[in-house]
Amino acid sequence: MKQREPPKSPCKIETELDKLSNLPAHVIDQILSQLPIKDAVRTSVLSKKWRYKWATIPHLVFDNLCVAISSQEQTLVKNKLVNIVDHVLLLHTGPIIKFKLSHRDLLGVSDIDRWILHISRSSIKEFILEIWKGQRYKVPSCLFSCQNLIHLELFNCLLKPPSTFKGFRNLKSLDLQHITLAQDVFENLISSCPMLERLTLMNFDGFTHLNIDAPNLQFFDIGGVFDDVNFENTFHLALVSIGLYVNVKTDQTAPGNSCKLLRFFVHLPHIRRLEIQSYFLKYLAVGNVPSRLPRPCADLNYLSVRINFNELEENLAALCLLRSSPNLQELEMLARPEEAGMGVLTNFWEVDHWNSMFSQLRIVKILGISGIRSELEFINFVLSNSPVLERMTIKPASPEGGWDLVKELLRFRRASVRAEIIYLDS
Amino acid sequence: MSVGTMAVVKPEMKSYIWIQTADGSIQQVEEEVAMFCPTICREIIHTGMGTSKNYAISLPQRVNPAIFGLILDYCRFHQVPGHSNKERKIFDEKFIRMDTKRLCELTSAADSLQLKPLVDLTSRALARIIEGKTPEEIRETFHLPDDLTEEEKLEPLNNVTDDPRIRLLNRLYAKKRKELKEREKLKNVEVEEEHVDERSVDDLLSFINGENGDSKGVKTNKNRKKNRRRKYQLKESSSNNLNGIHKDFNSHHSPCHNGELNDSEVSTPNKTSKLQCSTTVNFLPKIDFDDGDIDDDLDPAMKEELDREVEDFARRLNSDWPQRMQEILSLGQERRLVQGSMNGNGSTRRCTSLDSR
Repeated sequence: MKQREPPKSPCKIETELDKLSNLPAHVIDQILSQLPIKDAVRTSVLSKKWRYKWATIPHLVFDNLCVAISSQEQTLVKNKLVNIVDHVLLLHTGPIIKFKLSHRDLLGVSDIDRWILHISRSSIKEFILEIWKGQRYKVPSCLFSCQNLIHLELFNCLLKPPSTFKGFRNLKSLDLQHITLAQDVFENLISSCPMLERLTLMNFDGFTHLNIDAPNLQFFDIGGVFDDVNFENTFHLALVSIGLYVNVKTDQTAPGNSCKLLRFFVHLPHIRRLEIQSYFLKYLAVGNVPSRLPRPCADLNYLSVRINFNELEENLAALCLLRSSPNLQELEMLARPEEAGMGVLTNFWEVDHWNSMFSQLRIVKILGISGIRSELEFINFVLSNSPVLERMTIKPASPEGGWDLVKELLRFRRASVRAEIIYLDS
Repeated sequence: MSVGTMAVVKPEMKSYIWIQTADGSIQQVEEEVAMFCPTICREIIHTGMGTSKNYAISLPQRVNPAIFGLILDYCRFHQVPGHSNKERKIFDEKFIRMDTKRLCELTSAADSLQLKPLVDLTSRALARIIEGKTPEEIRETFHLPDDLTEEEKLEPLNNVTDDPRIRLLNRLYAKKRKELKEREKLKNVEVEEEHVDERSVDDLLSFINGENGDSKGVKTNKNRKKNRRRKYQLKESSSNNLNGIHKDFNSHHSPCHNGELNDSEVSTPNKTSKLQCSTTVNFLPKIDFDDGDIDDDLDPAMKEELDREVEDFARRLNSDWPQRMQEILSLGQERRLVQGSMNGNGSTRRCTSLDSR
């Protein structure tokens, strides 16, 4: 091994050339924060000035890049990852603003408890924990004391806050996926985060009634199995994507109940963008569907609906929605393929005394259709009622009968002279 | 059309701000462009400076005239509303194409003018330059002083070299070298005996078979085709660097490591050590002299084979080998291995939530 000479006194030219090291500390932090943690830590062997620069970076991200072992050996990867996180946390000084732990081989091990405790003593603002494998990881109670949290993201976790939990007063964004929490915990969590603006819930269990009481909520994205969704004080909610992953039970579809559709929109006066996915339209169709909502969705400019064109109730609900969306600019209709089959419903969309009801509609996508009567009628209905339509894209579920479908489409009258129809092969 | 009119009419109506850079030179800048820099904007609003040449706004020390010109280019583009996101992105990408020294100066200047979007842009660019480079390369790129002692550089290694597979690899490599030496000795004896007549045949054979010169060449070729990309990287790394790694590793390894740690670590991954055994068993017989009689120019061929086997072994052992080696290498200041694109984050997990939609 060659012996290095003792470091020379820093010559002037060198310091002049070294513009990087002389950047202000917060800029260097910013640069280091954008490096994978491995590269950031490695800067400690660059030079004396860089020895401990990495140790103050406020963002710590441990993801697949930090241990890129694609070994079958679980314990090996785990040990390596645990080692790295321990090492970094031990050497790190100063506040940790963001902590992200997401490695594809990470199980919900008890080491994570220790790390969470450590960072909960810092003024953590962004916490992201994604357990990709194994059982739900029970989040330790110390996480619930992080009152500076602004963004919280958990994947495959079990949440059981202590009884003293008073909510996250500053939390603006909450993303929970593959998560378990009890009904009361869920409601308490949502209602005790008064600043909440974004809420994502995907594949959850432990609660089935979604009572969303969030005065500042603007964005709500949910997909899962649930019985009920009720909004309360959600007057700022503008972007909603909602998917019910199971078919609605038949006993619920019995008419006579108060209409879910009405209840759903009462607290959504400013909705701008709505996606109705999986079976949620069927849920909305429960009860007596009115011909239109008492108060139109004046701000709604984008609507995406997953629909079974054969089912009367769903078509009714869709019609009600369309009638109540006078300013719609973009519409997407997705046929539920598994239920497409024999056309039973006819003449539903033929009633065209709603002349030019889509006065703003410019772009329409109709996907996954199988060419049944009610689908064609719906296309005809849209074309003849959309005077400013620019483009309608149609994509069938299967290529069979495509030619017949195209022939039908050609015949339809178009209220817009500018409208083009794009037929995509499936 | 509208652009043309703007170009004609605007200049007369435009108001200008007088600005003085650190070297004392004063220049006029369109007001809306100057106002794009928060620091200048504040100065104009709070102090009323900049309205005349005598009351020019002086810029912070960190903004030299050349860099200020760049900053004005940036502001001129971004203060105009109506550019699409794509246009902005394309502009930004072109804008940061400059040498690292200038990029650093620009970052510093943008920071002193509190031009946050530009600081974000340049610091991201700097991070991209640093990412994946060895310390040596980073030092070279940014003219950082190399003022740490070897010992200091090795300190962070304590943790990293704790990988049992690296040790296994080294052990295997050492074993192979020993075998090679023994075989060479043996060969030398043979060569002394029948010196003259085999020579031409050998040359011919090695010519026909290329450098592999044995039956296993076929097998490896097949392999090579199969994982051509990876193979390429591995080949490069093995042929260029493996010796280097090995030496380097050993020499750095000993001072920062104690035996106790070694033993306890090795015993953990049973599977790995088993794999190692079976691999060794597999290729050991092949090395024995199935082609010994035609090979008198043993050294280079065997060496190459050895490299290939170690490399094969490494690949079988685990695919992140080049990266691990790289870590060690770069920490130990040796040449860098080409980093494999093996950390493809197979992010399929979210499908569960999506497919049911």
